[in-house]
Amino acid sequence: MRPARKLSALVALGAAAAIALTGCTKKNEADTGAAAGGAGASTSATTYKVAFVPKLQGVPYFEAMNAGGEKAAAALGNVEWLYQGPTQADAAAQADIVRSYIQQKVDTLIVAPNDPDSMAPLLQQAKAAGIHVATADTDAPNSVREAFVNQATADGIGQALTDSLLTAMGGSGKYAIVSCGQTAENLNSWIAVQKSYTASKYPNAQIVDVVYAGEDQAKATQMATDLMNAHPDLTGLVGECTSSAPGVAQAVQDANKVGKVFTVGLGTPQSMKPYLDNGSSTAAILWDVENLGYLTAWTGAQLAEGKPFAATNDVSPDLSAVAYDAGTKTLLLGPPLAITKDNVDKFNY
Amino acid sequence: MTATLTEPPVSPAAPPKGRNRILPSPVTGQELVLIGVIAVIWVGLALATPAFLTAGSVRPLLVATAPIALIGVGMTIIIITGGIDVSVGGAIMVCSVITAKALVAEVSLAPAVLLSVAVGGVLGLLNGVLIAYGRVHAIIITFGTANLFLFLGLQIFDSSTVNGIPQTFEFFGRGAAGQTLGVPNAFLITAVVTGVAWWYLRHTAGGRHFYAVGGDAHAARLAGVRVQRRQLLAYLVTGLLVGLASCFVIAQGTSTLDQSVGSGKELAVIAAVVIGGTSIMGGRGSVLGTFLGALLVQSVTSGVTQLGWKSQLADLFVGIFIIIAVGTDLLRQGSAGPGRAAGRVRRSLGTLTGRARRPS
Repeated sequence: MRPARKLSALVALGAAAAIALTGCTKKNEADTGAAAGGAGASTSATTYKVAFVPKLQGVPYFEAMNAGGEKAAAALGNVEWLYQGPTQADAAAQADIVRSYIQQKVDTLIVAPNDPDSMAPLLQQAKAAGIHVATADTDAPNSVREAFVNQATADGIGQALTDSLLTAMGGSGKYAIVSCGQTAENLNSWIAVQKSYTASKYPNAQIVDVVYAGEDQAKATQMATDLMNAHPDLTGLVGECTSSAPGVAQAVQDANKVGKVFTVGLGTPQSMKPYLDNGSSTAAILWDVENLGYLTAWTGAQLAEGKPFAATNDVSPDLSAVAYDAGTKTLLLGPPLAITKDNVDKFNY
Repeated sequence: MTATLTEPPVSPAAPPKGRNRILPSPVTGQELVLIGVIAVIWVGLALATPAFLTAGSVRPLLVATAPIALIGVGMTIIIITGGIDVSVGGAIMVCSVITAKALVAEVSLAPAVLLSVAVGGVLGLLNGVLIAYGRVHAIIITFGTANLFLFLGLQIFDSSTVNGIPQTFEFFGRGAAGQTLGVPNAFLITAVVTGVAWWYLRHTAGGRHFYAVGGDAHAARLAGVRVQRRQLLAYLVTGLLVGLASCFVIAQGTSTLDQSVGSGKELAVIAAVVIGGTSIMGGRGSVLGTFLGALLVQSVTSGVTQLGWKSQLADLFVGIFIIIAVGTDLLRQGSAGPGRAAGRVRRSLGTLTGRARRPS
């Protein structure tokens, strides 16, 4: 009996780890029912089902995209907008949702992949089932996607972050980057631009470190604190994603270094507002997320209808000249937006 | 015999030597090793980066250690009873989102803390009742409740973040308002709770009963220990501590709370407990070790950042620590040989004799 008990304890421990690692795939089942139930309700001959699978749902960023997509569906009239994502940025959970949309035979499937490489075969599968496929927010470049809805170019974001920060830092000094997922392709492409652009345009500035905090705000804050301690002459911090952008600002505020250490980041307006107001954050670099959702839904409709993209597209009054690059099959929302304490109140997400 | 044990007679004639024999030494070998490892890491970091051993660096490190170490106290008691709780991450989410929303609604410090602790207590009580009276293994129950808690938490988040959380909890935070005589309040509270739990587990009959339950629940029951009540209590205490730790989590975060809060924290807490030398099989362990385990993990994480090493090295080191800790525990158990089971029964009975001698 004794060895059996010991074994069961070991099995239990192993199961604990397995559960913790894979648990995320289970979490959103409760939500799936509602959305899937509404999906098949009304399908007439002229309505196209455009499904968007975000990296995760329930966060203001993707909820704002969803709001934009719904607006587009209402404006276009022939689009049924479906929106469903995992509750954590987990590739496996996201794949489950993509599979369910393939089974539902939507007309266009648009994904913001957590892991572009593992998403590629699924997009292939969707295409084989006669579904138009596209990516938005984050690309899967080595896939069969027919279009990528790009919020801004890597150059645009990397340069805007660097320019905002170095203007505050006076054009020189040491700074560090607190990033999130180590494998996030868009974050890494922005960081690459920040490195090369800083080296070429600001020769007296230096990036001393790039650290990865995952999506954990408290960890991002602690890492920013550690970076300030490790480099007492540090005068700048970049929060590369929506959880580390307020995190680095909070660290500066806690360390009483407002005005000595400057921060910028990819933060959503409402989460950055307190830090923009008290000066611990200089600027949040973002784009109009609702418009990105609008453009995503419009792209889905174009693909479903089989209409080609023009070099510049008149999408809506807000988006009257969206550029399309046929070589990379990319639609570009426009230049990034600098959100400061002066314009932060214009955004409700 | 059972009768005499359930009604502990005061027997001053009992030789104090007997008590010394059944009590483990105040500090175990593993804890000494942990203190040594932490000391080596801190000295090494101090030499490598002069800023490490400054107040501006050590204070945030202690603040970051606090929530894991605090929940670790409860988790240690649970694991001593032979159970486990993988729902603490979800419980943190529920407590923090409710409390954060209360703070936004301008609830003041004390009621908000009480609210968080009460919510945590309810969640812990649910786990405890299901495990103590449900006769299903703790991992299955808490896996179930973990998903329930996540669902509940996400429902309360309602597809949004909680924005504009005021500085009500700065008492527990990293800043100047979160210190007493230069020591972070969150860390002080954690140290006091750990100290009380250490004393209780070691020196009271009630405390020893947790070990008896984990050592051999059947023998403990025969000897008159209220096994189910002990189990229930372990999960309830953990829930209450999760509630308090959630206040620390809010204080350490930003003015925005998002749905990633609590994610993966169950593993971080279990890691601290295991590194601290508590046997995952139950029956043996100490909250002091867990406290040191949590401090070690945070020191390594901060150290890797301050040294400018790659962030993922912290995961590597923590993984190695866990394997070494579990490995030594298994070796220790193995070395007891075939007489182990008998030794365990003897230990359980000795524990009970201890109870009989020390009325509570």
